[in-house]
Amino acid sequence: MSLLDRFTDGWRKYRKPGYYEEFDYHWAMTIDLDKCTGCEACVTACQAENNLPIVGEKAFAEGREMKWIRIERYWEGEYPDVKLRFIPMLCQQCDSAPCETVCPVSATYHNQDGLNTQIYNRCIGTRSCAVYCPYEVRYFNWNDHQWDAPLEQQLNPDVTVREKGVMEKCTFCIQRIRQAKDHAKDDGRRRVRDGEVQPACVQTCPANALVFGDRKDPNSQVSRSMNDPRAYRVLEELNTDPSVVYLKKVDAKG
Amino acid sequence: MPNIERRDFLKLVGAGSVGVGAGFYLRESIKHPMEHLIPHVVAPEDFSTGIDTWYNTVCSMCAAGCGISVRTREGRVKKIEGNPSHPVSQGRLCALGQAGPQVLYNPDRLTGPLMQTGERGSGAFAQITWDEGLSKVADRLDLLRAAERGNRVCLLSQGVRGHLAQLFERFVDQLGSERLLHYDFDHPHTLYAANQRFFGEQRLPYYDLKNTRYLLSFGADYLGSWISPVHHSLGFGHSRQGRPDVRGRFVQIEPRMSLSGAAADEWIAARPGTEGLLALAVAHHILSKGYYQGADRADWIAVLAGYTTTEVAAQTGVPAETIVRLADAFAQTQPSLAIGGGSAGNHSNGVDTLVAVNALNYLVGNLGKAGGLVFNPEPAGPTTHPHQASYRTMLEFVEDARRGNIEVLIVNGTNPVFTLPSAAGFAEALAEIPLIVSLSSFLDETTALADVILPSHTYLESWGDDFPEPGVGFPVGAVSQPVASPLYDTRATGDIILGLAQRLDMNDVLPWSSMEDCIKDGWRQIHERGGGDVRTESFESFWRAVLTAGVWGEETHRESTFTLDKSVIAGIGVQAPEFSGASDDYPFILHPYLSTTLHDGRAANLPWLQELPDPMTSVVYGSWVEMNPVTAKGLGLTEGDLVDIESPHGRIRAPVYVYPAIMPDVIAMPIGQGHAEYGRYARNRGVNPIEILSPQMEPQTGSLASSATRVKITATGRRAELVKTGGNSRDLGRNIVQTTGAGQHSANLNSIPITVIPS
Repeated sequence: MSLLDRFTDGWRKYRKPGYYEEFDYHWAMTIDLDKCTGCEACVTACQAENNLPIVGEKAFAEGREMKWIRIERYWEGEYPDVKLRFIPMLCQQCDSAPCETVCPVSATYHNQDGLNTQIYNRCIGTRSCAVYCPYEVRYFNWNDHQWDAPLEQQLNPDVTVREKGVMEKCTFCIQRIRQAKDHAKDDGRRRVRDGEVQPACVQTCPANALVFGDRKDPNSQVSRSMNDPRAYRVLEELNTDPSVVYLKKVDAKG
Repeated sequence: MPNIERRDFLKLVGAGSVGVGAGFYLRESIKHPMEHLIPHVVAPEDFSTGIDTWYNTVCSMCAAGCGISVRTREGRVKKIEGNPSHPVSQGRLCALGQAGPQVLYNPDRLTGPLMQTGERGSGAFAQITWDEGLSKVADRLDLLRAAERGNRVCLLSQGVRGHLAQLFERFVDQLGSERLLHYDFDHPHTLYAANQRFFGEQRLPYYDLKNTRYLLSFGADYLGSWISPVHHSLGFGHSRQGRPDVRGRFVQIEPRMSLSGAAADEWIAARPGTEGLLALAVAHHILSKGYYQGADRADWIAVLAGYTTTEVAAQTGVPAETIVRLADAFAQTQPSLAIGGGSAGNHSNGVDTLVAVNALNYLVGNLGKAGGLVFNPEPAGPTTHPHQASYRTMLEFVEDARRGNIEVLIVNGTNPVFTLPSAAGFAEALAEIPLIVSLSSFLDETTALADVILPSHTYLESWGDDFPEPGVGFPVGAVSQPVASPLYDTRATGDIILGLAQRLDMNDVLPWSSMEDCIKDGWRQIHERGGGDVRTESFESFWRAVLTAGVWGEETHRESTFTLDKSVIAGIGVQAPEFSGASDDYPFILHPYLSTTLHDGRAANLPWLQELPDPMTSVVYGSWVEMNPVTAKGLGLTEGDLVDIESPHGRIRAPVYVYPAIMPDVIAMPIGQGHAEYGRYARNRGVNPIEILSPQMEPQTGSLASSATRVKITATGRRAELVKTGGNSRDLGRNIVQTTGAGQHSANLNSIPITVIPS
């Protein structure tokens, strides 16, 4: 087998549906839009957990804010028959992620848990991934960020503080997943229990709209939730195969 | 290196190392002595490097009283999450609560006692010691007390509960003063008064959103800022998609769509101040359709005669068919629940409006049952009197201060210079008070005018306790414990008061040496009384159990029988709202609302929340004025045009935001920005709409009718681009947020166990 064959073979295997069957986990999230109130508790929780910087008013105006999860809002109709729809938008952890194929240095790749991960010290800042991402959930560090003392004392020691020139995005709180795996190992278990690990956004959601778990476990909350008849994926026609599944909002006027 | 010989080079190197050494020793010598100590040769039990320690305590960011769990690592606070055992928050937390660490580690905190050295407001402060600060205040208090002029002392605090409230009460009482005021801009005075009138009690009931099938909300932004947003959100989520085959329906009635309006199935714009009329029209239809068959039916029919759906439709601007549809659904979908508050309560007819909302619950039998309105039992904590000061009370205080009747003002946590309209003249009245003492942790607008600042710990460093009001249908209490060592030379509020008390020989009434003692003593009584879910022999094990769990609750419930007095029915009726300013001169009604992110401005100093987009508009870092698209077009205004908003009592300037869900003759502004002080993140950003509010009051409670100010809009011809997240505000066929018909419903797929109200 030539080197090229080996490479394409591995590539095909990796792109094949069911690739993750060989591994222990395939993390996924569902977001129930009928429950989401748009309160943005998830946004602040993420900011606190993942050492997201404050960019300041000027950088924000230039569209350089750093929010791994954000609430998008879409108005429908006109007054008085008007509605505002919220949708939390975060990295969709696509299984066929456009951002991964475009990175010239493979700084973003798919790990065996089905996570789209970003290797900060490999990233050279071409920003191609952000261009390719149809969900616009990749954030580039245009500057080194400051934490006015003593705000830096709050920084989460489990998460890297990123520097200028590096792309970053939601990790599904990979540090929490690692910790849960470690606990499972210490307890002599092979697998993490359902509900044992929750990203910061899921953990705090006051309306309980977000559910996180392993979709390889058919009995996990997230698996059951993904089988909901209301389930859909955003921009499904692009075949990115996201791991974030939304549950349709019920429009029950009248 | 030209022209440098080897010998010179060595000399330079030598000098350099001496310099480095001197620098090192200089740096060492100016360090705080604590830093020279080797920390934790024997580490405390709960301190191990690399391991998280979680402490349960109570959130103090708003008045809801959520239980929180704080993650600390090596003694530092890293993250705050809801305490899963606490029935109010149940493991969840809002954006405000999540931002708690930035209160503790805020770079603009006051680091020790200060004394104003220049003119008030000059910002010239000198550091003093605690002993000096406390003695200075205590000496003055002592003189006044000895001269039997203790009533010239006023303690003005933010709303506090539990043993701190009791401590305040005793302290002020010992001084011989009756001036203990709690002032919060967002305190729902009219709601308390309406419940007092209708149910005969000064306690709020528990609104059981979780089990309701139909919620009619009159102006209450229950998901954003009203009373207990986290708990309401839990109930909302469960009611929506947590039960098999049942999906709760939510209807929101308000002139400007709030967060709760966006979440509702139906948003109905009624003219400002006519919400109560609408409620009575719904009641009228309930009676005329015969949904209500109680013995007092005739009385109701008599009192509601003037509120037919057609008449009210004309007054509210809501079509009669809609009112009929709402009334039918409200009466037929059981259990249902009507709540009222927020802007609906902040009108000249606020109390009557909220009484009318209570009447709806009575007429369809929502009282005392799951999914309706559940009465709360006696709170478990110490009994204190209500001290919440209405606008009228604050005016009386201002008047007293002007006349020179106030000699010492102690301010704790509240910031009336910012949260009172300028028409109240509060800041000017402060000039007449000889001694102002602030216990705030931050240099806010009121504290900037203080003579002596004795800064408090933040809530994450203090001992305290809380008994949530309104409760959750059964008595709940929680102890607030320090989760981090004090960062600066500050003290817990209770300890400052106790420090003063000790200097004033109040030991027989305030015998505690510290707030921790005081709290512990209070909880000893709770332990001795028995009951509750923590039952142990010794107090020490009880105390440990309460601290570990972070919450304590009793399994008692109130009997839900309720009989309505006939005189209450006779008193039902809602007058048309009164607005200040003639409609010709001031064509718009100003609808100020509590910011979801900054609340009443208290969170404006937290950078996470400054940079958190407003949920409805996505604007950050500033103020804006919301305007209906048709109105804006008529005035020739687009987003970012700077306009002057002028009421009979002042003028402010803000950029326009074209808001699709607001009535054409209403303009809305978020409260929260416009600070002149309060640290680097808050200062000089946006404007404060409270400033220009007319001093219009709800006559029964004397509370500020904050939604009753008329304004006019003048274009300035200038622009200020709003800073907000990019993107189009319309979906444009991308089908990002997908919806489905009412028929589809998922049964119990992702519900969580909620521990409230066993049926």
